Amino acid sequence: MVFLKLALKNLKRHRTRSLLALFGIATSVAVLFSILSFNKGFEKGLAKELERTGVHFMVVPSGCAHEVASLVLHGAIIPQFLDITVMDKIAAMDGIEFASPILVAQLPNPQKGSVDLIYGIEMSKIAQLKPHWEIDGSAAENDHEIILGSEVAVHMRVKPGDMLSYPNVNATFKVAGVLKKTGSQDDAFIYMPVKTAQMIFKKPSGATAIGVKVKDPISLAMITESLSEKVPGIQIVTMNQVMNSISSLAASAKVLSLSIAIIAIIVSAVGVMNAMLMAVFERTQEIGMMRAIGASRFDIFRIILKEGMLLTISGGLAGIIISVAGNDIIEIFVRKVMPYVPSGDMTRFDAGIAGASLVFALLVGILSGLYPAWKASKVSPIEAIKG
Amino acid sequence: MIELRAVEKIYRRGSEEVHALRGIDLDIGMKEFISIVGPSGAGKSSLLHILGCLDKPTKGSMKVGNVNVERLSEKELDEIRRRKIGFVFQQFYLMPGLSVFENVSLPRIFSKQKTDREKITELISMVGLKDRIGHTPNQLSGGEMQRVAIARALVNDPELVLADEPTGNLDSENSDRIFELLKSLHDVGYTIVMVTHNKDLVSRADRTISLKDGRIL
Repeated sequence: MVFLKLALKNLKRHRTRSLLALFGIATSVAVLFSILSFNKGFEKGLAKELERTGVHFMVVPSGCAHEVASLVLHGAIIPQFLDITVMDKIAAMDGIEFASPILVAQLPNPQKGSVDLIYGIEMSKIAQLKPHWEIDGSAAENDHEIILGSEVAVHMRVKPGDMLSYPNVNATFKVAGVLKKTGSQDDAFIYMPVKTAQMIFKKPSGATAIGVKVKDPISLAMITESLSEKVPGIQIVTMNQVMNSISSLAASAKVLSLSIAIIAIIVSAVGVMNAMLMAVFERTQEIGMMRAIGASRFDIFRIILKEGMLLTISGGLAGIIISVAGNDIIEIFVRKVMPYVPSGDMTRFDAGIAGASLVFALLVGILSGLYPAWKASKVSPIEAIKG
Repeated sequence: MIELRAVEKIYRRGSEEVHALRGIDLDIGMKEFISIVGPSGAGKSSLLHILGCLDKPTKGSMKVGNVNVERLSEKELDEIRRRKIGFVFQQFYLMPGLSVFENVSLPRIFSKQKTDREKITELISMVGLKDRIGHTPNQLSGGEMQRVAIARALVNDPELVLADEPTGNLDSENSDRIFELLKSLHDVGYTIVMVTHNKDLVSRADRTISLKDGRIL
């Protein structure tokens, strides 16, 4: 206990130097903690978002898997269309709970001077396809009723019961309901019955994708394999593949950011080592005195090493506090710079990551304290006392 | 208690050899009060370091009790120092930030002994600093700091107290108090060896060893 107190007092003696070294460690641990928390939040959010799609796989025209990932997560517009007869073939297969077409396209809105994003969906399947949705008003009950995403409703200043006209396609819709904010891309769409969408986009049997849910997820691989054989010209993308596809896109950003954090930690570890070496040189006489009054080389080694550990553990703690306090700012920044971020909190406090970051900080303390501690343990008491 | 025979100490300073001690024969008995005097460079500190097992002779032999120390390892010398020898330095060398009590208890911690609160308090009272027990060195005067250092030197019940210019940084009044304290320790049975330049104090020791050019005169 006295050794620990001694280490603490020694750090306090050079307050500015200790604080600067601590600040370096705090900054790098904050970066590391934020990145690890964000990565965990990202994967959790992504899994949750995919789970919300309510389907096990999507059938799309042959193309790039990334486009499918965008379709699933962003509602992206894919220029190719599937023929809806494919859906009948899928539905006829064993083990399929349901197959539902989706048609996503842009529709110019001359009245508002904007281009609206239309999402054609089977309204009868909404409960299965979008189980997390909460709607103000009601679900669309006929071909001329639509549901608006919360952002669209705010932007257009419409509420349930209002009418929306698109003279360019000779259509007028009643807003049956407005989606409560989901925090996802769903908020940016206008949802209408898929048949109406097919009609206004002049694709009577076209679909951007077909969402499929199987009865038993264990038979998923078997079903997708047999479907690929039976229906040519399609691409099947399971939600796991979408997740992997997004994760692999995010992986390079993850590697880059972690590398930056590691470099920051190495730089701050060198700072800690430097601060401690200076302290050892300045305290040569004191160390010599301790040796003279009975301290062994190992005692001296322990005292100096404890200083390093104390410094980095405090820095680590400060870093975690800084990171947690700045969660909102980090989240806003990341959402601005990254092309896709799932909905929900990405940078929520995670005790496991906090613990791991502290252990890491402690290891940095031990590693950066080893050399100064060894150097201090080699101080000769006579040389030190002679001055 | 301590026996030195034909002890030599040679240091290397670059390519030059410095003979700090040349053929020292010395016996220090129990309960002696010895002062070591001599001009700068005479070898006083070198002799004190060898007596304190901080250093080993280059040549010759030295016994502490019945143990020949010149062949002992560093760890064994550490152990002798912890059990048998207490040090008092000119610059006091108290640990800043630690209280008087904690400073005095340090040698016990280093020798892995239990902090004996009663004993430490008693020692601090003996050097007249009971009311300063919780103070840190920066709250003490020079004389008070040296008294703390003396209490620290005694905490492991050493047989020998080595004092290197203990009054060198003190005014005459405080020097007298420190000397009286060392004298009182001698009276209760401690062996004291003190290096000093203070002629007044030298005359009050039981025996004086004068050194010049590494030899006893």
